Amino acid sequence: MTTIGKPSLSQTVSAALAETRLRLINISRYPGQMVLEVIIPIVFASMPMLLGRATAGDQAGANFAANTGTANYVAFLLIGSNVFTIVSGAFWHIAYWLRFEQETGTLEAIYLTPTSSVTLLSGVSLYSAIRSGGSAILAYLIGCLVFQVNPFEGNVLLAFAFILVGLVPLYGVAMLFGALVLKVKESNALVGLMQWVVSFLMGIFFPVTVLPPFVRAIALAFPPTWMTNGVRSALLGVGFFFGQWYLDMAVLWAFLFFAPLFGFWVFNRVETGIKRNEGVGQF
Amino acid sequence: MTTIDSNSNSNTQLLTGPAAWFDSLIEMSKKELLIMIRYPVEFIASFGQVFIIVTVLTLAGLMFSRGGLESAGDNSQTSGLVIYGFILFMFLSDTLWTIGYNVRREQKQGTLEQLYLSPASKFASLVSRVTVTLIWTGLLSISSAWLMSVMIGRLPFANIPLGAFILIMALCGTFGIGFAFAALTLRIKEAGQTMANMLQFAFMVLCAPFFPFSALPDWIRIISRFIPLSYAVDAFRSTLMGFPSGYPELAPIGVELVIVILFGLLMPLLGYWLYRREENQARATGSLSEY
Repeated sequence: MTTIGKPSLSQTVSAALAETRLRLINISRYPGQMVLEVIIPIVFASMPMLLGRATAGDQAGANFAANTGTANYVAFLLIGSNVFTIVSGAFWHIAYWLRFEQETGTLEAIYLTPTSSVTLLSGVSLYSAIRSGGSAILAYLIGCLVFQVNPFEGNVLLAFAFILVGLVPLYGVAMLFGALVLKVKESNALVGLMQWVVSFLMGIFFPVTVLPPFVRAIALAFPPTWMTNGVRSALLGVGFFFGQWYLDMAVLWAFLFFAPLFGFWVFNRVETGIKRNEGVGQF
Repeated sequence: MTTIDSNSNSNTQLLTGPAAWFDSLIEMSKKELLIMIRYPVEFIASFGQVFIIVTVLTLAGLMFSRGGLESAGDNSQTSGLVIYGFILFMFLSDTLWTIGYNVRREQKQGTLEQLYLSPASKFASLVSRVTVTLIWTGLLSISSAWLMSVMIGRLPFANIPLGAFILIMALCGTFGIGFAFAALTLRIKEAGQTMANMLQFAFMVLCAPFFPFSALPDWIRIISRFIPLSYAVDAFRSTLMGFPSGYPELAPIGVELVIVILFGLLMPLLGYWLYRREENQARATGSLSEY
């Protein structure tokens, strides 16, 4: 009898990268969708921008500065909508992958291979980070060009560092969400609701300091809030939560170690539970 | 072989006429309602989602006001602008998205061809896709209007009958756009979803539902003037706001009303004609079940 051994590290990485490649090939077949992903954050940020300009007139910049700490509302709103693109992309891609495999009946087949679903999930996460991160950076640059502001104002490298460090805990949280989709099986509704809850908590178009204390505490327990504020502070100088960039970065690093491990643990538990109850193929 | 002839017996005669049309519409709508309530999380999530969107937009708008959050509740014109635009946007999203999406779902599930074998009205089938959703959206609109008026200012309620008439005409027009979009879905298949997204975002900019038209650059405003829905948005919110100075922005209200009425009457006919044309084409080429 042939027994299948545990895959080596290189085999695991290879499987994850194969999944990433598969997803990237798949999305490259839909260029219209990719173009739309660049346009959406710009249009989205332009809504409050146009409303603000129309209602506040010449005072728009001054009023905005008094409420947020920067008069550069174009960059502030564009950063919010683009980080939101990355965050909601993480939720959508993980949830959609799981749901798609469930609906097409291939999720059970995955469990028969020696590759674990967490390995494939890591591959999907990498694909998602490349797709959403690429769109967000491009959308930010085009948005700044359209609204005629300098996209390279402030410390660009530090802003990148906040995004890169923030991506890891973000996908940890997305795995928790994936576990929820496996359990509840209504990905569209959950993602639809979740992406707006996330946008609210991370302060997509406003600083989280305007939120009531209890809501602010919840927002601060959520990694994308630190990511968004870190990028805004690095580029626009709106102020780090702890005053210094390295203190905020340290919090994000703490999330980086905790969130993925917690995400993996919860995902594995839910997965084992539904495997026992024969719920993998149900949708 | 058994054939169905609408004149052959009394049973089949029941399948024609207005009563049969309404019966089939109600039954088809019931089926859609049944599917909807089988997914309770979706039901609740859609409600929560609207409230959060309203809150996010409100907070964003308040960042531009002099007193920030403390100025919440001061400006009824801003709340009118945003809320009435948001209501039209929700209805448009439903009609634009739901009809085409449902046709696509039937295609994917392989049941679209079977529907064509039944003698039930195809028009009722299309309308039923969106009937339940529209009732739900109506409830959501009322709730979001209440929430937003609490948060950013007392809502102006002038000329309610005329406002309701404009809303109905605009809805009829968007039904037509929904039919046309369902036709497009039959032709371009999966790319239809991307197209629906693009149209929604184009509407968000060109028809200015969340800000006044004066905020748009001149060259975009020229494009807006060629879209009947822009006049529906402008007329609807101007009417309910009691025609404050500078409103309506695109044309005198009389002209806007004529455009909105023509849009509401002609667009459903045009949309349905396009759908039937595309459907016949799909049946002739055998692509009805392809996806």
